[in-house]
Amino acid sequence: MSYNHELVSLSVGAIATIGLYTILYRENKFYRFFEHLFLGLASGWALVALWTETLKVMWWDKMLGSAAADGNQAAMGYWPYVMLLPVGLLGYTVFSKKHNWLSRIPIGIILGFYSGQQFNAWTNRYIPQISGSMKSIIPTAGFFKPDPNTLNPALGPVKGDLYGSEALNNLIFVLTILCVLSYFLFSFDVKSKVIKNASLAGRWLLMIGFGAIFGTTVMMRFSLLIDRMYFIWIEFIKQGILHIK
Amino acid sequence: MELLAQLAPKTFWNAQNGSGELFIKIILGLLVSTGIVVALFKTPNQLRRWVITAVTFFSGLFYVLFWIYPTPINRQPDEAPRNVLEGFSFWLSDAQPVVADLTNIIAAFLIGLGIYSLLRVHLGRIGKQQRDWQFSVVLIAGMVIMVIFGYVDWYMRLDPANAKMAGSGYVGWTFWQFGRDLLFNGLLQNMDAGMFSIVAFYILSAAYRAFRARSVEATILLVTALIVMLSLMGLIEYFWAQGVDGMHLSNNFKLDNVARWLRANVQTPAIRGIDFGVGIGLLSMGVRLWLNLEKTGGSN
Amino acid sequence: MAITDPAANKSLGEKLQSVPKPVLYLVLFMLAAIPLFFPVKLPNKPIDASVEMFTNVMALPEGSTVLVESDWTNSTRGESMGEMEALLRILMRKKVKFVVYTIADPQAPQVSRDTIRKIADEEAKAGRYRYKPFEDYLVLGYYPNGEGTASAINNKFVSIVSGKKDWPENSAPRDVSLSPVLKGIKSVADFKYLIVVTASSTTNTVLERITKVPMMFMVTGVMVPETTTYYASGQIKGFCGGVKGVYDLETLMENGLNVEGPNKIVSEKSTEVIPGFPGMQNTGKGMAYYPSLHFALFLLILAVVTGNVGMFLAKRKGA
Repeated sequence: MSYNHELVSLSVGAIATIGLYTILYRENKFYRFFEHLFLGLASGWALVALWTETLKVMWWDKMLGSAAADGNQAAMGYWPYVMLLPVGLLGYTVFSKKHNWLSRIPIGIILGFYSGQQFNAWTNRYIPQISGSMKSIIPTAGFFKPDPNTLNPALGPVKGDLYGSEALNNLIFVLTILCVLSYFLFSFDVKSKVIKNASLAGRWLLMIGFGAIFGTTVMMRFSLLIDRMYFIWIEFIKQGILHIK
Repeated sequence: MELLAQLAPKTFWNAQNGSGELFIKIILGLLVSTGIVVALFKTPNQLRRWVITAVTFFSGLFYVLFWIYPTPINRQPDEAPRNVLEGFSFWLSDAQPVVADLTNIIAAFLIGLGIYSLLRVHLGRIGKQQRDWQFSVVLIAGMVIMVIFGYVDWYMRLDPANAKMAGSGYVGWTFWQFGRDLLFNGLLQNMDAGMFSIVAFYILSAAYRAFRARSVEATILLVTALIVMLSLMGLIEYFWAQGVDGMHLSNNFKLDNVARWLRANVQTPAIRGIDFGVGIGLLSMGVRLWLNLEKTGGSN
Repeated sequence: MAITDPAANKSLGEKLQSVPKPVLYLVLFMLAAIPLFFPVKLPNKPIDASVEMFTNVMALPEGSTVLVESDWTNSTRGESMGEMEALLRILMRKKVKFVVYTIADPQAPQVSRDTIRKIADEEAKAGRYRYKPFEDYLVLGYYPNGEGTASAINNKFVSIVSGKKDWPENSAPRDVSLSPVLKGIKSVADFKYLIVVTASSTTNTVLERITKVPMMFMVTGVMVPETTTYYASGQIKGFCGGVKGVYDLETLMENGLNVEGPNKIVSEKSTEVIPGFPGMQNTGKGMAYYPSLHFALFLLILAVVTGNVGMFLAKRKGA
């Protein structure tokens, strides 16, 4: 009997998935078994990828260089890369009671690089959004904007002015963002009635944002479940066992 | 890309692959860096904070300078800098990928910290035969088996004679390839997906029990969530559109138009406002980390 | 004294609020699974962001190259794999080369290799050109420090490919700098687009550090609201979000844009006719999962409404 790898692979995957789903009934040993197996496999794979995808290519091969082979050019070896080994291993001193301060050195290097990037990161991420939030609220044409798909061609194209309906939308946009920002004024006591009411409105408007986040999050979580159902019912049972395409 | 194909010129910082000079320099480099690390072990208490502050500050200073210092425009591969100022800008530009490499390598070494921690905890549990130690055996066994199959499979694929393994149809596959595929695709990937999908049940149950219109805010959240979820359903959108199709003004009340209006004029600015707050927090945290103004607990 | 059954004294409102969890789970389980056996094309109106993404990708000239950041694994297969498959189908049919890299997860490069191979086999089976590794696409692998890598990509792209190897078909690994995919690529600006397919916040990492190439995102549902703000400010040129986004792309690939017909999809920004790929395999996970999504979302809405009706009835009885 020949080995049907695809069927075996589907079978172990289906059994593992059902084993994990037993948690929905209650905590049990099947779930704990598969949970621990998952953690073991994931950390094992992380160790494999750590060397094969990262350290070997970025550190070992660069340190030792390579000879020309299999159509690849030769590369020089850069010996300073070896100095990163003791620096990286300093991180493991976190387990020592006496020397755990040394583990902050490699962490400090990475955090230092990360925090130095924050200035550039902040400007690239938020300046376009700040400028995009400055919308015009003064209309320059009539109230209703004609629909370009149904507009009578004899009337000419839709003008580049700001129509009243668009200006109203922009006003709602600007007011929303101001109200939401006023809600986050926690550093000082707000006495003004205007800001207090804006803050209250901001809280309500924030709920609209959270409602949208909830709706799309639900879609994502259900998609993951539907995908698992597809795997079990269609890929495993229908196609794998019953051979129905 | 032609630059990479040429062998880099010989400098003090490099040597030919396999040469004695390279091995001697590597050993000397290792000795020097180990000596520095050993010296750090002997650092007096009052200097420790300054060592960490200096390391963090100079690391961050590189990227701050990289951001504010003028960058070379239309720099040609063999172009030499005209003066010291331009030379510094060339150096910053050339050093950034090396710095990214260094960060990648140090981060990779630190990932091993998590694995080491996991091993310590679970081997400890097995050694002391604590409660449910058998599951720790499963974890360690899974890790070891994955590492063995992963490395053997990777090593076999490096051999030019096994090049066909990378193609489809299991051509040239041996026990090791089938084993790795079973562990990775069969078990790991499916369990990964299974874990995440369990949340769907909890979301349904939590929404049913806790999502109540008890206040104005909760009602707004509820109504918005309902509109968004309805707008994600193409079938509902279609039937809703049939119901309001007519005069142009009423087209504004089609579900996709209502959802689009909410998205563009209320949802986007609301989330943008939250984002601005988060951004300012991140920026201030970045400054505090860079200047080591964060007061952390534990020994120094 | 007679023993009274506590359940019998429950009002309608209380009963509506106390449906047992196993019942909810079982109903969800069935509603998620049964529609999968009856795949049907449901009507769909793609959102503006999906339309713009489709327009931009379809406008790519043959032989151009795009950079793809693939930061997803099978944990989000339901959405991310559908997005990746739709993108790969368009890129392969338009004969656009692509370079794939990862900054989020060490599992991601292998997952993306498997997906690319699957779509390449599908195209070859349909009699079209079969994409070959190293000749038509590259997978650079995993880079653990995402922030540094993204900065290096923007500053000096050639540095991140230095020393990297990939496997040509039936051959030993070779230096990627020798691949025809990277011919003419000196900086990230030489790519037509950077397309990020992700299930995590690597979109922020990329947005903050890469400025020299236009970007498009393919994200999971939970990130759609945040990604919408970037789209609204013009920082990205389109995005695809969740199963709805996947189905939007599949619908556009099937029906085209502004193409006359019973299922005409009209773009509000342009009248340009984009034919799509009629007669080819365009549907995948989007079409397969969309009906089940309808039923699951409907169940959630029903559960929330039932709970609230129960709460109001119980309040009225108590008042």
